[in-house]
Amino acid sequence: MMQSIYKRGGHGRAILGRAMALLAVGLFAGSVAVCFADDPKPDPAGIATGDKTSVVDAGGNAFVVAEPTDKTDPDYATKKKAFDEYQVQVAKEPLAVKLADSVGHVRVATNFAWTLNTGYLVLFMQAGFALLTCGLVRKKNAGHLMMLNFAAYVFAFLAYYAVGYAFQFGAVAVNAAPSNLGGVPTLNHFLIGSGAWGFLGGKGFFLLGPAYDAGSNVFTLFEVVFMETAGYIIVGAICERITFWSFLLCELFIGAILYPVFGCWVWGGGWMSQLGTTMNLGHGYVDFAGSTVVHAVGGFAALALAIILGPRLGKYGPDGKPRPFPAHNIVYVVIGTFVLLFGWMGFNPGSTLGATDLRISVVAINTNLAAIAGSAVAMLLWYFMFGKPDITMACNGMLAGLVAITAPCAFVSPTSATIIGVIAGVIVCYGVLFFERVAKVDDPCGAISVHGLCGWFGAVSVGIFADGTYGAGWNGVGASSYLGHAGQGVTGLIHGDTHQFLVQLGGATLCAIWAFGATFAVFSVVNKIKSMRVTSEVEEEGLDVPEFGMPAYPEDMAVGVEV
Amino acid sequence: MKRIDSIIRPHQLDEVKSRLNSLGVQGITVTEVRGFGRQKGHTEVYRGTEYAVDFLPKIQITILASDELVPGILEAITAGARTGKIGDGKIFVTALEEVIRIRTGERGETAV
Repeated sequence: MMQSIYKRGGHGRAILGRAMALLAVGLFAGSVAVCFADDPKPDPAGIATGDKTSVVDAGGNAFVVAEPTDKTDPDYATKKKAFDEYQVQVAKEPLAVKLADSVGHVRVATNFAWTLNTGYLVLFMQAGFALLTCGLVRKKNAGHLMMLNFAAYVFAFLAYYAVGYAFQFGAVAVNAAPSNLGGVPTLNHFLIGSGAWGFLGGKGFFLLGPAYDAGSNVFTLFEVVFMETAGYIIVGAICERITFWSFLLCELFIGAILYPVFGCWVWGGGWMSQLGTTMNLGHGYVDFAGSTVVHAVGGFAALALAIILGPRLGKYGPDGKPRPFPAHNIVYVVIGTFVLLFGWMGFNPGSTLGATDLRISVVAINTNLAAIAGSAVAMLLWYFMFGKPDITMACNGMLAGLVAITAPCAFVSPTSATIIGVIAGVIVCYGVLFFERVAKVDDPCGAISVHGLCGWFGAVSVGIFADGTYGAGWNGVGASSYLGHAGQGVTGLIHGDTHQFLVQLGGATLCAIWAFGATFAVFSVVNKIKSMRVTSEVEEEGLDVPEFGMPAYPEDMAVGVEV
Repeated sequence: MKRIDSIIRPHQLDEVKSRLNSLGVQGITVTEVRGFGRQKGHTEVYRGTEYAVDFLPKIQITILASDELVPGILEAITAGARTGKIGDGKIFVTALEEVIRIRTGERGETAV
C-alpha cells in the first residue's frame, strides 16, 4: 500500500511542473519588457516621493493650487482667481514652499509607516488562520493543514509577484491613485480596457520597471497580504481530502488570476469603481477593505472547490444524514480567532492607506463592534437552538461579523456596525446548518458561510447603512457636493441613495458569480485530467504521513519512534 | 495470589490510590480505558449535528496481591470509588497462576 501511496500524484506533479515552468518563462520575458519612454520615472530610493503636492489640510484641501485648464468650466473664473492668488503668495514666500516640500515628504512617510505596519498585522493573520483551521480538523490531518496554510503563503505570493500585482494595480494611477502614498504615477496602463472602463492592469509585472518604486512597494506589501487572505480562506473548505499538488495549482490560480481580476475592477481603478461617473450609480461599487474583493472571492472559490472535491469519507451516512467530525484542538481554534481579530485591526483601519486619514479610529471601533456582535449572536442562537453554545460557532460568529464589517467599516456609524455584526452572526449560523444539512457541501471550518455569505452581505450593507459622513469624492464622485450637500460621502439606502444600494447588490453578486464560476470552470477541467482528491486509503489513514512523511503528533505514530 | 482489576471513574483515582497506599499495597498499574455499561453513553451536538458519546472515559486499576490482602483491598477500592450514582464502575477478581519479577527472576508470592 505504501508503494501505491508514494507513486500516486506523478501526473499531478507534471501539471504543477508545467505551471512553474510557465512562471519561469514569464520571469524572463518580464525582465526584458521595456518601459514607455515618456512615462513618469519610478523612485526606487524613495527620495523623490512626497513633496509639496502631497500637502493637504485636515479637510483634504491641497496646499498647491493647480492651474485650471478647462475654460468651459462654470467655476473657471473662481479657480483661476485662486490660482493667481496662490502664485502671488508663492512669489512672496519661497521658504514656505520649500517647507511644504518637507511637510509633504513627512506626510507620505507617516502613511508609509502606517500602511506597512498594518500590513504586517494582516500578514500575521496567516498564523491565526493556520491555528483556527488546524484546530478544527481531525488530529490525523493536522500536519497537512499546517502545510497547506504555509504553502498557500509561499505559492500565492509567487503568482502575485509575477503577474497578480500588475493585473490588479498596473493602472491604479489612472482612476484610483493612492495619494496618501505619493500616488504611484508610474502604474498607469490598462492591459485590457482604458479610461473609466478598465478590465485588467498592465504594468509592474515581476515588480520590474514602473513597480520598482518605493511608493509602489508599500502598496505591494499591503495588497499581497490581502491576496493571501483570499488564498488561505479556501483551506477551510477543502482540507482533509485535497492533494498537495492540486492545492498549489489553486493557490497559483488565486494569486495570478482570480483575486487580481476582481481586485482590479474594484480597487485598481477598474470599471466597477467608476460606475458612479459612467452610469450614475452612487459612488460606483464601494468595498472599503474587501468583504467581497478578498473574502467573498475566497469564500465562493471555496464553495466551487468543495463541490468539485465532494464531502470527506464518512461525512454523510448511507441515509444521507451528516455526521460530525469534532475539532481536535479547541485551544487552537480560539487562539487562532483572536489572532485574526488582532490582524483585522490592520486589515480595516490600514485600508485608509494612511494615518493622516483620522477616520481610522472609527474604523477600528466599528470593526470590533461587529466582531463582538456576531460572536454574541452565534453563542446565544446556538444556546437557544441546541441547549449549549458551541465554541467553534462562537468563533465563526466573530469572524462573520469581521468579514461583514470589512466593506462598510469606514462608512457607517458604530450603531450600524453592531447591527451589521448581528445580522452576520445570524447568517453564519444558518449558513453552516444549510450547507451541512441541505446543500450537503462539506465545509469543515465554515469558510463558505463565514467568508462567502457574510462577505456578500458586507458589501450589500454598504448600500444600506452608509451614512454619508465619510468618502466625499470617493471614486471621483461628488467632490464638491453630493445629493445636494457639500461634503456628503458614500450614502446608503436608509440615508437616501438608492443607486448606491443597487450597485452594491449587483457588484457583490457579480463577485460571487465570478469567484464561483471561474474556479468551478478551471478546476472541473483539472479534476477531470487528474483527480484532485487523495485516495480513500490515504484519507482513512490521515493525510499527514502519506503526503508529507510525518505526523503532526509523533506519539500517534506506530512503534519505533521515540517521542 | 489474585489479580484485581477495577474500572472506576477517573475523578476517583486519587481517593482510591491514597486508600490503597495506606493499606501498604506494593504497586498498581493504571490504564486509561473507555467503555459503556447499562446507561449506554449519551448524545452531544457539534456544529449543529448530533453525535453519540458511546464510550465514556474510565480508569482501570490492576493490582496483584496475596490472598490475605484481597478483602482489605476490595473494601478500599469500593469505599474510594463509590459516589452512589450510575457509572461508579466494577471490580473483577481473578486467580493468578504465576508472577515473575523481570529484574531478579523471582517467582510467585515474593515477586508480587
